Amino acid sequence: MNRRTAITNLTAITIGITFFPACSDNHSQASIALTNIRISAVQEKLLADIAATIIPLTDTPGAKELGAHLFVLKMVDDCYEKDIQQAFVKGLDEVEITAKRRLGGSFPERSLAEKKMLLEEIEKGTGYSADLVAFYKIMKQRTIQGFMTSKYVVRDIEHYELIPSVTYNGYYPLAKK
Amino acid sequence: MGDIDKGTLKDRTFDAIVIGSGMSGGWAAKEFTEKGFKTLVLERGRDVKHIKDYPTANKFPYEFEHRGELPLTIKNANPIINRCYAFNEEAAHFFVKDAEHPYVQDKPFDWIRGYQVGGKSLMWAKATQRWSDFDYEGPARDGFAVDWPIRYKDMAPWYSHVEKFAGIAGNRDGLAQLPDGEFLPAFPLNAVEDYFKQQLLQKYEHRHVISERVAHLTKPNPIHLQQGRSQCLTRDLCVRGCPLGGYFSSNASTIPWAEKTGRMTLRPYSVVHSIIYDEQKGKATGVRVIDANSKASFEYYAPVIFVNAGALNSNLLLLNSTSSRFPNGLGNDNGLMGKFVAFHNYSARITATYDGFKDLTTIGRNPAGGGYMPRFRNLYKQETNFLRGYAAGFSAYRSSSRDSSGVGADLKDRLLHPETGPWKVGSHMMGETIPKESNMVSLDKTQQDAWGIPLLKISVDYDDNDAKMRQDYFEQFTEMLTETGFVNIETHISDQNPGNDIHEMGGVRMGKDPKTSLLNKWHQLHACRNVYVTDGACMTSTSTQNPSLTFMAFTARAVDHAVGALKRGEI
Repeated sequence: MNRRTAITNLTAITIGITFFPACSDNHSQASIALTNIRISAVQEKLLADIAATIIPLTDTPGAKELGAHLFVLKMVDDCYEKDIQQAFVKGLDEVEITAKRRLGGSFPERSLAEKKMLLEEIEKGTGYSADLVAFYKIMKQRTIQGFMTSKYVVRDIEHYELIPSVTYNGYYPLAKK
Repeated sequence: MGDIDKGTLKDRTFDAIVIGSGMSGGWAAKEFTEKGFKTLVLERGRDVKHIKDYPTANKFPYEFEHRGELPLTIKNANPIINRCYAFNEEAAHFFVKDAEHPYVQDKPFDWIRGYQVGGKSLMWAKATQRWSDFDYEGPARDGFAVDWPIRYKDMAPWYSHVEKFAGIAGNRDGLAQLPDGEFLPAFPLNAVEDYFKQQLLQKYEHRHVISERVAHLTKPNPIHLQQGRSQCLTRDLCVRGCPLGGYFSSNASTIPWAEKTGRMTLRPYSVVHSIIYDEQKGKATGVRVIDANSKASFEYYAPVIFVNAGALNSNLLLLNSTSSRFPNGLGNDNGLMGKFVAFHNYSARITATYDGFKDLTTIGRNPAGGGYMPRFRNLYKQETNFLRGYAAGFSAYRSSSRDSSGVGADLKDRLLHPETGPWKVGSHMMGETIPKESNMVSLDKTQQDAWGIPLLKISVDYDDNDAKMRQDYFEQFTEMLTETGFVNIETHISDQNPGNDIHEMGGVRMGKDPKTSLLNKWHQLHACRNVYVTDGACMTSTSTQNPSLTFMAFTARAVDHAVGALKRGEI
């Protein structure tokens, strides 16, 4: 990708974030309207941190910068059965509990390497509760989906246009692609 | 529409009434108005204006709140329509929701409907192949249903007539079983589709892969530009409605064309209760309409009435049009109305991998979707333990895979740089089903809808012939793919209900004999000749081709006949 584009985008995203300062108040609610699940600002921050661990910021925006964690919340709120929604919220809280037990502190405050190690362990699935594993599966799948279908990836990386710039060619040399 | 409703008898009298504005109704409207007829087009749903009423047409993937998925509350409230492949965040607004228009399922049947101006012509898959005499002579040769009262030579000029106007992309393939038409340039096959095509030509007789013929303006002619349509730019987002008019729909083509004549009165929200039969005159004189919103009822009159409500709704309307002359439904002297309903068997798929052509891929989008294989089974003679056969889709694509294990920068890199995998192919079966008396629709005796019209009871099921045909499709395709070097061949049975093919047909079938059919060779009810049925209800058999093109050609031919018959004083 064009590095200059990436920097421009990052600037835009950083500005975006300043409008929604992270809030540590335990009673304040998530930054998007939710109908079926209750998520606090603290939980939302945790979710953003998990998203940022799954797909981090590099020289291009990561899942958190592109709002993939909010997409996850939207999907969980609208597209899952109640029992799965409950498991998701419980599993989210268990990430924090597990972090304190395994890493000796709150998840968002640990190093990226530690967070990565913990999530990869959960991904293996052994020794963790069903809720935590269920949370992780949904979180990972939807984070990837939200990231891959974000405006940034769709437009700037994949260069998707409503009207394709090329006519269909069924014999296109792979080397040229 | 208060003006015509409150008007005098004269205001409510037209030269022709067309019931339905979808695939075939739009054609009736166009043909009648072009021939100078003041035409009333009745549509039970809302109006959908070309471009203006396509709310999702220009959305990017990320502009769909749920990226195309529908919220669970909508899915749970709509178990039937949710089984339709196109019911998603892009197009859900064009489909009838389950609770809005209930029906009775004597056996499981997914009745997929689009109640709006344009009907299902907005969301169709646009595949358009002519029938041949292998199809029109099918019932007579193989001894099922009744003989079609028409042959290919009757239809050929009318296929040309509708193809020129609608715009069909295709190649002249020179196949007896799939006659060539008036084509715009075809979408090309890709490397692996072409390879399979060439291999089959070498190894088999009568097995052909052609580029799917589709109603897309690959290179518009002046007649298409005059409709206000423009070239298909391969957006491949057709189900949302095309702002370019790149594919054929009533909304982009026939309805605005009829409107332009100044002779069409289009009345949305018009539920037709029944056709009025005049015992003295011995013919139909008009229709009873209930306003979908106010529920007020009106009558409209015309010397000729076209029934284009959609196959099963046309059955419902005619069965509900009772009089002392026709106590069992208009024209239903033999008691066969509603019976011999059939559909297409789409219950099987097959997938495979091809390891060659590693240096090639595809770019751009192909709205035709790839290849089409016309029926080859039992084509020239009976050769299997089941009747008739199947067409099949065949499309190939270069796969790519993303290893999504783990987390972190490494995962991100793998997601953004997928690995190119082998070519993959997919095929689906489109089988002919045999119309049977026991596959039928009728009026429910106790339940009515919100407009006081009996609910339709549907009793349609697969049979042994369908099961044997599916088995044969699996065997033949496994053999063909194996013989031509494909690997990882997997068969998939889809347990989809009849109806989910969205190709329901029959119930008011055509035939030569009034004792065994409802319609004559001009689509007139044998017993009430100023009523014509030219949608899916008229089908004597189903063949394997997607039926819309044939409905369009039937309609144009029948309007031409009706206009002549009125002039000659025959009806």
